[in-house]
Amino acid sequence: METPAPSHSPAPESRTDFISIRNFNFSYGQKQALFDITLDIPERQVTAFIGPSGCGKSTLLRNLNRMNDLIEGISHSGDIFVNGHSIYDPHIEVISLRKRVGMVFQKSNPFPKSIYENVVYPLRVAGQNRKSVLDETVERSLRGAALWEEAKDRLHESALGLSGGQMQRLCIARAIANRPEILLMDEPCSALDPIATVKIEELIRELKQEFTIVIVTHNMQQATRCSDLTAFFYLGKLVEYDQTQRIFSNPAQKQTEDYITGRFG
Amino acid sequence: MPSPLPDHATDQARFQTSKRTLAVDRLMTVVIKFGGALVITSVLGIFLFILLQIWPLFAPASVEPLKSIPIPAAKYALLGIDEWGGNPFLVKTDGSFLVVDYESGAATDKAIDLGTTAQVTAASLNKREQKVILGTADGHFILVSPNQTSREEGGRRIVETNPKAEAPVAIGEPGRPVIDIAYGDSGTSKLVVALQSCGETNRLTASLFKRKRSLMGKSREEPAGSFDLTPLIPGRPEKILVPATGDSVIVLTGSGKAAYLVLEGGRFEVLQTFTPFEDLANPHINAANFIFGDVSIAFASDSGANRIFSLFYPEGSDKRLFGFVHEFPDLGASPVFLVSTLRNKAFLLGGGREISLRYSTTESIRWQAALPFTAENAVISGKYQRLALLGSDHALHFYNIDDPHPDSGWKALFGKVWYEGAPGPKWEWQSTGGSDDFEPKYSLVPLIFGTLKGTLYAMLFAVPIALLSALYTSQFLDPRFRSVVKPTMEIMASLPSVVLGFLAAIYIAPLIERQVPSLLLVAAGVPLVATASGFLWSRLPIQIRKFIHPGWEWIVFLPLLLASAAALWSLGPAFEAVAFVVTDPATGQKTADFRAWWPAATGSSFDQRNSLVVGFMMGFAVIPIIFTITEDALSNVPKPLVTASMACGASRWQTAIRVVLPTASAGIFSALMIGLGRAVGETMIVVMATGNTPIMEWNIFSGMRTLSANIAVELPEAPHHGTLYRTLFLGAMVLFLLTFAINTVAEVLRQHLREKFKTI
Repeated sequence: METPAPSHSPAPESRTDFISIRNFNFSYGQKQALFDITLDIPERQVTAFIGPSGCGKSTLLRNLNRMNDLIEGISHSGDIFVNGHSIYDPHIEVISLRKRVGMVFQKSNPFPKSIYENVVYPLRVAGQNRKSVLDETVERSLRGAALWEEAKDRLHESALGLSGGQMQRLCIARAIANRPEILLMDEPCSALDPIATVKIEELIRELKQEFTIVIVTHNMQQATRCSDLTAFFYLGKLVEYDQTQRIFSNPAQKQTEDYITGRFG
Repeated sequence: MPSPLPDHATDQARFQTSKRTLAVDRLMTVVIKFGGALVITSVLGIFLFILLQIWPLFAPASVEPLKSIPIPAAKYALLGIDEWGGNPFLVKTDGSFLVVDYESGAATDKAIDLGTTAQVTAASLNKREQKVILGTADGHFILVSPNQTSREEGGRRIVETNPKAEAPVAIGEPGRPVIDIAYGDSGTSKLVVALQSCGETNRLTASLFKRKRSLMGKSREEPAGSFDLTPLIPGRPEKILVPATGDSVIVLTGSGKAAYLVLEGGRFEVLQTFTPFEDLANPHINAANFIFGDVSIAFASDSGANRIFSLFYPEGSDKRLFGFVHEFPDLGASPVFLVSTLRNKAFLLGGGREISLRYSTTESIRWQAALPFTAENAVISGKYQRLALLGSDHALHFYNIDDPHPDSGWKALFGKVWYEGAPGPKWEWQSTGGSDDFEPKYSLVPLIFGTLKGTLYAMLFAVPIALLSALYTSQFLDPRFRSVVKPTMEIMASLPSVVLGFLAAIYIAPLIERQVPSLLLVAAGVPLVATASGFLWSRLPIQIRKFIHPGWEWIVFLPLLLASAAALWSLGPAFEAVAFVVTDPATGQKTADFRAWWPAATGSSFDQRNSLVVGFMMGFAVIPIIFTITEDALSNVPKPLVTASMACGASRWQTAIRVVLPTASAGIFSALMIGLGRAVGETMIVVMATGNTPIMEWNIFSGMRTLSANIAVELPEAPHHGTLYRTLFLGAMVLFLLTFAINTVAEVLRQHLREKFKTI
């Protein structure tokens, strides 16, 4: 069955396309993981990547801040632009790209340091050591991550004493501490209980006021609840990309419909 | 027909564990328990064995009464004994010997022909010659050889005494009674000193006899001068001591003074006059005697105070004089006799019923007791095994001395000790010497010091290199090279240390000796070049840097570092010519030689086998261990932490320093401690490359001796169950305690770090 080429720019409203992925192919060694992805992600919207396991959604997400560079034997073709600049431009330091693109991982990974030091870590590595700035950042980021009330009295205790949901919110606070433009979230709630999940989802809806958010999720309800746009991937290809509402109510592709109705995946 | 399936409802066998499984399980449980118990038992057994070996070093002497033999009541001039303690003899005033046989308990008279009928008024024993000298009431002296022989008979030792006298010789003022007499014999001359009572005054005379060897091989003694020493003495002489060498006299006066007279150039000269008990109300010397070796004198005052004076060269003096070296507690009674042994620096001080066996060098009281009788005199057998006490109850009381390690104890092993001839107390290790009266010095402190020094220099060299290379390999190097580097380092760890030691001694030590300036340049220059080039690299525009993929930077840096090392090494001689010029004070000639410059500039010595060589080579033994474990610890830091740090915009270096290193700190700490343990216990490298000099200075260009090397070097020469043998075991124990302490502290700290940096 021939799949019609999906539209890569689903937003009818005049929004800035902040991230542009153009004909992007990606391989781990001999195994190609992504095939000719072309996709535009608008500013200050939540874009969800969905699809069955191994469809390449996490791989694409991790390419947006070049986290895949840490893996051996990778290769790519095509290009990715953030705010009009190619992220593979040899003139750009990968470090400055990562300062621009924050990331929250599937499994929370706080450093074995205090809550305070976890949050200010991006500032410290950027050379910011002024206490007033750090203090202010900690409060702003923890408030931003809805953790301030729970953590303000134990800022200097180990981050490892927090609960699973709190740890994930701490990781979000850390990711937004240095005010990136883009926040990548790789299945941020998959290891959390429903109550913690609700909190994070509320948080995502608030954070989009300030950040461009890309979220990978396995949870259809989560995609419908908190994303504006949804891209469906299957076997390394972008199958469909549209407004979330439309994807879930009236998908253009049969594969999409099969997936979201739970017929496979 | 197929067999019917078992009925599940009734077939209960499927729920049962087979008997074989249970039996094997039980058997293995027993085997493992037994094995564990065996390991613990053998470790404790070794521990117990070492403890049993070292315990006697700290044990006091044990002196037990053997038997008492009654003797006729008479006045005795002298008490002597044979080497084995079987035949003590007493000299009566008529010159005859009363020989007491220990085995049979008989006291027999042995009359000898003295060649005179005069009464014996003084007697003393020359221990080295095993001869008795008697002074008579008519101003003569007679040499008597006790002539004691021994033989084994039926498992018992039979000692026989057949005294023989030489002809009487007149000395000093004719006809005056001799009240004290002593002599020394150097082999070529004999010095006899006699104190005579001449009414109100005492007269002191020294007679010198030269021994001439005739063509027939028989030696003949000829008088070579008589000296009236009385005018030289500041006071009334009371007692004389003559060392075995026969070249000096120590005269004690009634006022408590000791005059040290030396025979030099055919005349006597007072070299020194001192008062041993100057600070006491009554400085009178009641008893005095040479300690074995005749270099130290033990003095006892009327009140029981006891001090040792020794001959040594005081700081800045070219004359060997007596100095106050040791002090013992009061005896608690007025001393009557002070006798020394023929085997070690022990002496016996007694008075009334109090008796005390003391060891001069270590100031330790080996044994002290209150006797059930009053002792008038005492003698210790030559083998330091039997003691005979002459009691006022007309009996000779025999005691067995069991004191195999009198020169040992806490003070000797760990404290500063003032050895004979030294200008002050110090820590010293010197287990063997050339002569019989040499005193072994068993201080473990220089060895502990050497162990710590060697370890310190090895760790100074190894830790930075091992840690930084592990950090580089695990965090920066491309994994393809890592998989080559790591096994290579692990193979290095298995290099036998004897090979490293051999290499150090034969190749590295001479090379370093010649090329110290080159080495200094390389040691200072290469890290500088590395840092500077790293900094410059980071400043290069990314267009240039992008050609080198992360993890491949060494392709640029390695040649650069090797080239700079080679260049700096070759600059060494030029550097030496500029910086290390030393002027010979005698000729005024200037030479550029670091080996001469170092002692001139710092005052410390330069040895070929030095701490630098050891640090370098032992570092090589330690680096692979620290590297491997550190690398493991760093690589085992959870990947999510590294990615989290990277995602926060941290560079590889920031990630390594701020996240990886603290998280792996417990493992790194273990690596350092295992490296330290290896360095502390390392033997072959230090045996071969340190020179094994037990000195105590931090100087990097001098050698050392470590506890482990000491055991390796000395064990072949240590007599079974001797003091040295046991001291070596003590060294092993100290080494064990040292590593035990290090490991315990390390484990506590490691647990603390692990708790602090534990990851979820």
